[in-house]
Amino acid sequence: MTQPASDKVILDPRFAPPFPQGALNVLRNPQLRKNVAHAIDVIQSKRGKLVAEKTDWQELRSAASALRAHVLENLDAYLEEFEARCTAAGGEVHWAADAAQARQIILGLLRQEGAREVIKIKTMTSAEIQLNPFLEAHGVKTYETDLAEIILQLGEQEPSHIVVPALHVNRAQVREIFARRMGLENLSDDPQALTAAARTYLRQKFLTIPTAISGANFLVAETGSVAIVESEGNGRMCLTLPRAMITLAGIEKVLPRFGDLELMLQLLARSATGERMNPYTSLWTGVTPGDGPQRFHVVLLDNGRSAMLRRPVERQTLRCIRCAACMNACPVYRQTGGHAYGSVYPGPIGAILTPQLMHLQHAQTLPYASSLCGACYEVCPVKINIPQVLLELRAQVTNQERHQAARFLDPMYLGLRIANFLFARAGRFHLAQRFGRIGIRLFTRRDGWIHSLPSIGAKWTQTRDLRGFPRQTFHEWWAARDKEAK
Amino acid sequence: MTSSAEARQQILDSIRAGTESVAQSAAKLADAYAALPRAYNHHGQLNTEALLALMVERLREYGAEVVECSPGQLTATIAAQLSASGKHIFAAPAGLPAAWFIPGFDWKVDYNLTTQEIELAEGVVTSSSAGIADSGTIALHHSPAEGRRVLSLLPDWHLCVLYASQVVESLPEYFSRIPQPPRLATWISGPSATADIEMTRIKGVHGPRFLHVVLVRDERKPETVLERLPQANDL
Repeated sequence: MTQPASDKVILDPRFAPPFPQGALNVLRNPQLRKNVAHAIDVIQSKRGKLVAEKTDWQELRSAASALRAHVLENLDAYLEEFEARCTAAGGEVHWAADAAQARQIILGLLRQEGAREVIKIKTMTSAEIQLNPFLEAHGVKTYETDLAEIILQLGEQEPSHIVVPALHVNRAQVREIFARRMGLENLSDDPQALTAAARTYLRQKFLTIPTAISGANFLVAETGSVAIVESEGNGRMCLTLPRAMITLAGIEKVLPRFGDLELMLQLLARSATGERMNPYTSLWTGVTPGDGPQRFHVVLLDNGRSAMLRRPVERQTLRCIRCAACMNACPVYRQTGGHAYGSVYPGPIGAILTPQLMHLQHAQTLPYASSLCGACYEVCPVKINIPQVLLELRAQVTNQERHQAARFLDPMYLGLRIANFLFARAGRFHLAQRFGRIGIRLFTRRDGWIHSLPSIGAKWTQTRDLRGFPRQTFHEWWAARDKEAK
Repeated sequence: MTSSAEARQQILDSIRAGTESVAQSAAKLADAYAALPRAYNHHGQLNTEALLALMVERLREYGAEVVECSPGQLTATIAAQLSASGKHIFAAPAGLPAAWFIPGFDWKVDYNLTTQEIELAEGVVTSSSAGIADSGTIALHHSPAEGRRVLSLLPDWHLCVLYASQVVESLPEYFSRIPQPPRLATWISGPSATADIEMTRIKGVHGPRFLHVVLVRDERKPETVLERLPQANDL
């Protein structure tokens, strides 16, 4: 069974529906909810076991948090050092202020290579700048090589998680996509067979397409090296077989020294997939004669990141190493899946990252897509206080709304203004209580519960019931009790 | 559209506008870096036997095959592994010790082999730079005895020789003991795998499906802490 076509998923925050609306697609789709919950449960139980066996987990988190904060405070110096070392090692470093510039730089490099096809290692940053549709529109065919990314690309679906992007698709759906797009009618839905089909499908691509695009997990300033963690070996293929390699990396990805990897690599795989180490981690430095691509480019992408440094609370968002532990731990993500967030970065990290990358001009509902339970903060390997950033962003969103002329048409705004007036004096408050109780009785059913309210009250009762008001307020009861005592 | 150079200036200016440490000197930066908290475990706790046992256990957990031998038995052990594999064509880096080229097999020695030639090999034999017991990781630094990166990638079967004296307990021990950062490195923790379909772990997507490790019990004095790891070519 496949997803109905009406569930068109939009991961561009400029056009995506608000979070509560986006969430409905999943909430109404039991198969999708089952797929998401199953994947999350598996990762969570593996992660829990491996984190528990690490006696110095909290010390690792503290060290990583301090290290990443230090990098952000001195980002200019470390980027310049990375650029110098990478260049000295034979790489070429490009700087892109925004997504459009990054796309142009990459297209220019591909044209220079005469590339009509390109193989790609999974990179969320390339999804952020919507690179694939841009390249396809300019005559360059893109081939994703990560198994999950192939499923999405061939199935024309969108990622719903940053580490396991196809976790919302089950084996029957994968079988259907592969059978249709690879022309394999007799393919079984055994994951082993599906994986083998992907291996065969990609082998010739790896051996023949001479240009590759990757992201980066870490850039090392000291040596000018780039590190990529992966599981399948598609990364190693793309890093060694092509003649030319283009790496797209957010400016925040840099680490000061080679030795800092000892810290990040202990945290990343455990947090991301519940493994002590991912099967393959590759590190390379510029160009090495006789080994791997002989032309190597790094595109450093800002796209709203440097502006995030200005606010000390929000700055911590950039410590993120994209492990996805926060979304795996999040009770909201578990229910809604990733597509509801309307961004390639879903979950708690997406809820704080996306609005900031959009300069709060879009995705303003995302800071509210949280119960502020703090589970994300607790699991974050670099200790990003996500609830704190969410609250800060909510304050900013509210501030924005406060300056909009249209606010007087918003029942929520008017309601809160009236509440503000009523709650300011005890007399007004008691009066309002008395009338409110009479009014609310109209909506209270015989079972003592309110099942539906009109207007903005419906925002509450759409998804949950409200207990009817008691006959007496606490104050009234207290006063009556005093009287009786006398 | 701004040029890359203009974007560079723009980005760096924007970063400097947002951070406190505008005109920090290199010395101050180094001091701030040195002062960062690093209270996590830097040293292992295990004795040699426990350390090697852990390395073997973790490798086996990943589905890697491990055999142990003394230095004197190494050649015979490699020969036995190659025979048992049922394969005949093996790729090898040019710097592989001469004794490891077991006669009777078809050796493709990497004097600039083409990708197609490597692809034809059924297996590959390499040495390695370190073993990290905690995560069952084998580090390749791609020295002449370890070979180019592609060499240990395309063949479906990889036999890797690891000396006991190269095994450390944790990543911090590994990073503090390698003499200098390698230009290239591949850290392998078990065979190629994926869990992208319903979180079911499947061995062997694009990298070798079969990883065989020969652990050579060379002289390793239990009480001494290695200052630096012996490199592949020292052994």
